[in-house]
Amino acid sequence: MTKQAKIIAAAAAAVFLIAVILSVYILRKTPENRIEIVQDGKLLYTFNLNTAENQSIRIPAADGGYNSVVIEDGTVRVETADCPDQTCVRMGTLKSEHLPLVCLPHKLIVRFAEEGAA
Amino acid sequence: MKTRRLAELGLLAAVALIMFVIEMRIPNPFPIPGIKLGLANIVTVYAVFRYRPYETAMIVAVRVILGAVFGGNPSALLYSACGAVCCLLGMLLLRKILPEKQIWLCSIIGAMFHNCGQIAAAIAVMRTVSVAAYLPLLLVSGSLAGLFTGLTAQFLLKRIHPSS
Repeated sequence: MTKQAKIIAAAAAAVFLIAVILSVYILRKTPENRIEIVQDGKLLYTFNLNTAENQSIRIPAADGGYNSVVIEDGTVRVETADCPDQTCVRMGTLKSEHLPLVCLPHKLIVRFAEEGAA
Repeated sequence: MKTRRLAELGLLAAVALIMFVIEMRIPNPFPIPGIKLGLANIVTVYAVFRYRPYETAMIVAVRVILGAVFGGNPSALLYSACGAVCCLLGMLLLRKILPEKQIWLCSIIGAMFHNCGQIAAAIAVMRTVSVAAYLPLLLVSGSLAGLFTGLTAQFLLKRIHPSS
């Protein structure tokens, strides 16, 4: 390996290690109970998972599609969506404040409220 | 441009597209947006080391645009295009200082650039920085996928051009 290659390899390894540490930090469970449902940068709903009744909310998307968000026994998840990738559905329930449920095709985000926000 | 050269580029774009379509059929075990193997990048990495920068850019442009058409997910085009441009720029720069023995390294860095581009596009589209939380996860999976595609491209170069 040339000297430059070694430097680049070391930098890549450093970025990788930092990313692993941050990933562990991000995937931790959060004690926060308030959630927000945001679409295209606009706040649509806020709920407190401790007090919210079990319900299903159908959220239409700009392209004519929809996401169906379900609140059930203190958890929230995207139950169905007609987006092509279905990633938001397969992410399951919202667990971490750093890792929101995201539906990229419909620009929808379900996340825990930030500290101190309403 | 010579006809032969053009045919080669078309062939490479077709191969990349085929790998892209096959990859869509492989179930993704990680339910996180943006995480994927990126098999089509084997062709990109190969082209970076064997073709001129603008020729590689043409292959990537065709693959990204037609990939969105065949994938049936046009909204993913913006994310993949941003990622692909960042990845390509990064790899073309590295190409100048890295020898062919370190293609895997070039590919890893390219994947990291790709992830940064994806997240930048997501932040711009969703108008929130909270999606940046995905970056570390994407970087971890991206470097591993990049290592894999890079090694594949390296073995490929050795087989196709045994003399060099």
